[in-house]
Amino acid sequence: MATDAQRSSVYEELLDAILDRFIPAVDDLPSAGQMGLTPEIVRLAAQQDRFNGVFENAIEAFSTMNPTFAASNGDQQDDAIRTFESASPELFGALLSIAYIVYYKDSRVHARIGWEGRSPQPDGNVMEPWDESVLETVRKRKPFWRSVD
Amino acid sequence: MTSNTGSVNETVDILVIGAGASGGAATAWLAEAGFKVKCLEQGYWQDPSKYASASQDYEFEMMTNWAPDPNMRQRDEDYPVNDSESPVTPVMFNGVGGSTILWTAHTPRFHPSDFRVKTLDGVADDWPISYDELEEFYDLNDEVMGCSGINGDPANPPRSPRQMPPLPLGTDGKKLISGFEKLGWHWWPSDSYINSQRYGEGRDACNFCGHNHMGCYQRAKSSTDLTYWPRALRSGAEIETGARVRRITTDDSGRATGADYVDSNGIEQHQSARAVIMAANGIGTPRLLLNSASDTHPDGLGNSTGLVGKNLMFHPFAMISGTFPEKMKTWQGPLGNIAFSQEFYETDKSRGFVRGYTYQFQRSLGPAWIAKGGFRDPVPWGKDHHEVLEKRLGSVMAMAVIGEDLPEHHNTVDLDPELTDSDGIPAPRIRYTLSKNSRDQLDHAIENAKKALEAAGASDIFVDPMMRQSGWHLMGTARMGDDPEKSVVDKWGQSHDVDNLFIVDGSVFVTGAAVNPTPTIQALALRTADHIVTNRQDLKG
Repeated sequence: MATDAQRSSVYEELLDAILDRFIPAVDDLPSAGQMGLTPEIVRLAAQQDRFNGVFENAIEAFSTMNPTFAASNGDQQDDAIRTFESASPELFGALLSIAYIVYYKDSRVHARIGWEGRSPQPDGNVMEPWDESVLETVRKRKPFWRSVD
Repeated sequence: MTSNTGSVNETVDILVIGAGASGGAATAWLAEAGFKVKCLEQGYWQDPSKYASASQDYEFEMMTNWAPDPNMRQRDEDYPVNDSESPVTPVMFNGVGGSTILWTAHTPRFHPSDFRVKTLDGVADDWPISYDELEEFYDLNDEVMGCSGINGDPANPPRSPRQMPPLPLGTDGKKLISGFEKLGWHWWPSDSYINSQRYGEGRDACNFCGHNHMGCYQRAKSSTDLTYWPRALRSGAEIETGARVRRITTDDSGRATGADYVDSNGIEQHQSARAVIMAANGIGTPRLLLNSASDTHPDGLGNSTGLVGKNLMFHPFAMISGTFPEKMKTWQGPLGNIAFSQEFYETDKSRGFVRGYTYQFQRSLGPAWIAKGGFRDPVPWGKDHHEVLEKRLGSVMAMAVIGEDLPEHHNTVDLDPELTDSDGIPAPRIRYTLSKNSRDQLDHAIENAKKALEAAGASDIFVDPMMRQSGWHLMGTARMGDDPEKSVVDKWGQSHDVDNLFIVDGSVFVTGAAVNPTPTIQALALRTADHIVTNRQDLKG
């Protein structure tokens, strides 16, 4: 019988393999599973009990459906993911969402896509001030709200 | 915890249930007029520095701890909602400020015609009040909440000067508007309860972080914890947070005597009062009224007509998005506070439906939000992922359709026979179906939105014909009217059955119009409070 540590190791290996198929290598970035994102995914998922339950169910269900996933080739892995997506859309959605969230908070990804990545607070962003000239056309229209008198 | 000193069980003049948009407004007005007011709020005060908008993990926070859907959020102060028989999920927030904590603060008003739909279009019922009767309270509310906007909109009656100029349109907003201008269709800068400049007590101007719907770190977005509640507390009002109301209590004659509630320590309490005001939203209020059945009110408090919980209206949302070739930093600026169009607001029966709809223009957010499918389908996983993400980031704009959803008896809130909150209070159960008229409206709006997006230069147009997580606007479940046989409260929000029970939230709406309802909810709350001040001095101890 597998210990918790053994199961955790298997699940991390599985998650790495899934991430590799979700977000492939691009430019000088490796695929998501090779970027070492799994610990952050596990940490973030644990920030809410409800979500963590869904997340753990997703990993377990996927593992049960695909016991040899990590050893399969890419096409086979894609097929397995698509099958899971169709069979368990809620569980799949949780996996995909947190994979995307963690990938796109990584500074290496920010550098590649040109995303500033800083907290928007308190500085926020700078926008051009309100310019009333944009109303020139619409102001010419006569009132067309419906009178009730 | 109790914010002001005073015995928990001392009789108050007015007990307000709920500290959100309407509860805050009513409490402040009554306290300033010298009434002894206490509010019971099941949630807590919020710290803006802890909002999701301040977190690097805001995408995660918005689908978990700060999710608008209480079933996803699952905080101790939330109650579950059984929405398994509804295609729309009700969303809300429990805390001081209520759902104004997480709203976009897009604040249009009803049109005069919205109060006369039976007379004008032969559907539903007229309101017992008119736009003109409500106008002064709209103005008062604008002043307290602080409205950025500009007069002169040809789709609406003239109104008082806005407190601040409009929020900037941005490059992205101007791009979307260009489609409407090409088609000769109406648009106008949104009225928003977001500061375009410093306004109110310690409230700065918007910093255009784009996260206003996640709680405003900057305090630039108006929420009643920042506007009405400081005034209310200064005037002696008391608020008890973490106080979950179980039922409204009544005496042998059937009059309200206060409320039983569970305090933040889990201890059962009773708060006695000379009158009770319900401000718990269009789902929470009917839930509590139905759970307050007694010998004198066997079908629930104020429910001799059986209309409590009936006629639930949402504004079912369709969302139509397009991708522009330009990179426009669409994450800069409030998400849904650019502009709106009411080209198709008023009834034109040649369209095949009655009443109409508003378009609310929408920006989009950062890469994770885009990847997860904000306002559209997720970016595909696998080999096409990077290319699609690249196309969408900074280039997706959307139009939300807010259609007028007419009241229907079979759309209901009642008490779930099994599901309860953590204190054993029955949870609300929602049963809702979209009417053919509403569906026809949405379909009409979708086709025209495609035209507008294409005229503006967008492609890759995506349609969500009805968003599930869109039940922000909870209306109609304790409707007002002059006829006690056909309504729950009178035109002042006073129960026909119980003369010291009032309702001030969206429950009292007769019809829902095709705009975000909060300014109307707050104006009605102020009007009811003003009526009590003027005509119900008997409620003062």
